[in-house]
Amino acid sequence: MLDIALLWEMRGLILQGLWNTLWICFLGCLLALSLGLVLAALRLANPRLFGYPVACYVEICRGTPLLILLFLLYYGGPSIGLRLDAEIAGVMGIGLYGAGYFAEIYRGGFKSIPKGQLEAARMLGISPWHALIRVQIPQMARLIVPPGTNQLIILVKESALISIISVDDLTKNATTIVNQTFQVIEPYLAVALLYWLIIELIARSGYALEKRLANRQPRQAAQQGATPHANG
Amino acid sequence: MPTAEMLSPPLSSRPKSIVEAHGISKQFGDLEVLTNIDFSLAPSEVVCVIGPSGSGKSTLLRCLAFLEPYDHGSVYIDGQLLGYEDRSGKRVRTSEKRVDEVRAPVGMVFQHFHLWPHRTALENVTEALRLVNGMSRRDADVEGMAMLEQVGLADRAGHFPESLSGGQKQRVAIARALAMKPRVMFFDEPTSALDPELVGEVLDVMKKLAADGMTMVIVTHEMGFAAKVADRVIFMDQGRVVESGPPSTLFRQPKSERLNQFLNTWRERHID
Repeated sequence: MLDIALLWEMRGLILQGLWNTLWICFLGCLLALSLGLVLAALRLANPRLFGYPVACYVEICRGTPLLILLFLLYYGGPSIGLRLDAEIAGVMGIGLYGAGYFAEIYRGGFKSIPKGQLEAARMLGISPWHALIRVQIPQMARLIVPPGTNQLIILVKESALISIISVDDLTKNATTIVNQTFQVIEPYLAVALLYWLIIELIARSGYALEKRLANRQPRQAAQQGATPHANG
Repeated sequence: MPTAEMLSPPLSSRPKSIVEAHGISKQFGDLEVLTNIDFSLAPSEVVCVIGPSGSGKSTLLRCLAFLEPYDHGSVYIDGQLLGYEDRSGKRVRTSEKRVDEVRAPVGMVFQHFHLWPHRTALENVTEALRLVNGMSRRDADVEGMAMLEQVGLADRAGHFPESLSGGQKQRVAIARALAMKPRVMFFDEPTSALDPELVGEVLDVMKKLAADGMTMVIVTHEMGFAAKVADRVIFMDQGRVVESGPPSTLFRQPKSERLNQFLNTWRERHID
């Protein structure tokens, strides 16, 4: 039988781990999403200048384990004068690592917009910035939500590695409980359930966003098609 | 890159053309797609550019609009050099903003419409009115509806492009370009992507524009339309202007063997 009382007794450690996992993942994913967008935009705006450096960054992220990046940031940082708290190293590790993947997801999204649509915008005098905001991003959003959601899920799962650089996240606190109580199943099952809940929340949000973006056209078209536009 | 000796002639010596090009050339890699083209377009003139596929017609139009930067020569819109500027005797590319300013009198319609699929027909028309002209949504909608009315599509204002026919999409694209009050319209094979039955509705809109005095450059394979509507027809082959003149002369008494051959092929295909 599972010892539920044990989990109740250790709820403080579990909740602390959950909180740390949540905020570190949130900030790390935010950094990954933002930096990825900047990298993709730079690469597309000036391929001659930024193409190679961004491509190198992406390849390094894809070619090295997150754990090595975390070690470099946390243990290697001080040797170059970079002293980071374990939590901050965790945020940076997740963010820098995820940015490489997101840069590619965004790039795929940008590339999927036919060049002619942007030429039409330019011929109307619409600035590249407005074309990005009004033409490219709304269309690419629909395409990048599924792979983006997937990537966020992977980052949250991989965040368990920050326990190795001594961050008191869900995984580390579960291990602490195991070490204190010699009960293995309950703590790890509990944190597995919590990870699953976080990921389920991300997955469902992704589906909802995907559905909302995909439905916008037919829904409006159906509504407005039945009754001509108010001004018409 | 255009060379210093191709700098613009003094403004006063130039005829009052809206669009003018001198000796423009364009290469894609090793392939020379335009060779030393001269071109001028007077107000209210309708010029049709014809020629076999790959002859450089569309590239010419795209160079005149600076969607493809030309390598040599010069293009003027309303007397202003497009895409380049003179800095200490050296010609350099201007900013995109300056390109937009010089190109402002030009509207363009593309073969594949290039409507924005996430915007309704009306939003496609009003987007630039709001973003570029700074109109309020209400004013832009009124203006946009007037444009859609002009192309006979007011009842499709709330439809997204995916629910419009090819002809309707192209008419929305025309309305979108017209909304910015261009003084010149460039049409790049506007009917080539349409079902034969839908070509007529687009050509009708273009005929009406021509009748209203719009200055137009039309790259087309519609010989009948060119014969009826154009003031001047330019025949291109292998990146050069082979022949140009009024349609009555050009179609009935072609001077060059190449145009004769091109017209015979066209007649055979359309009479059989």
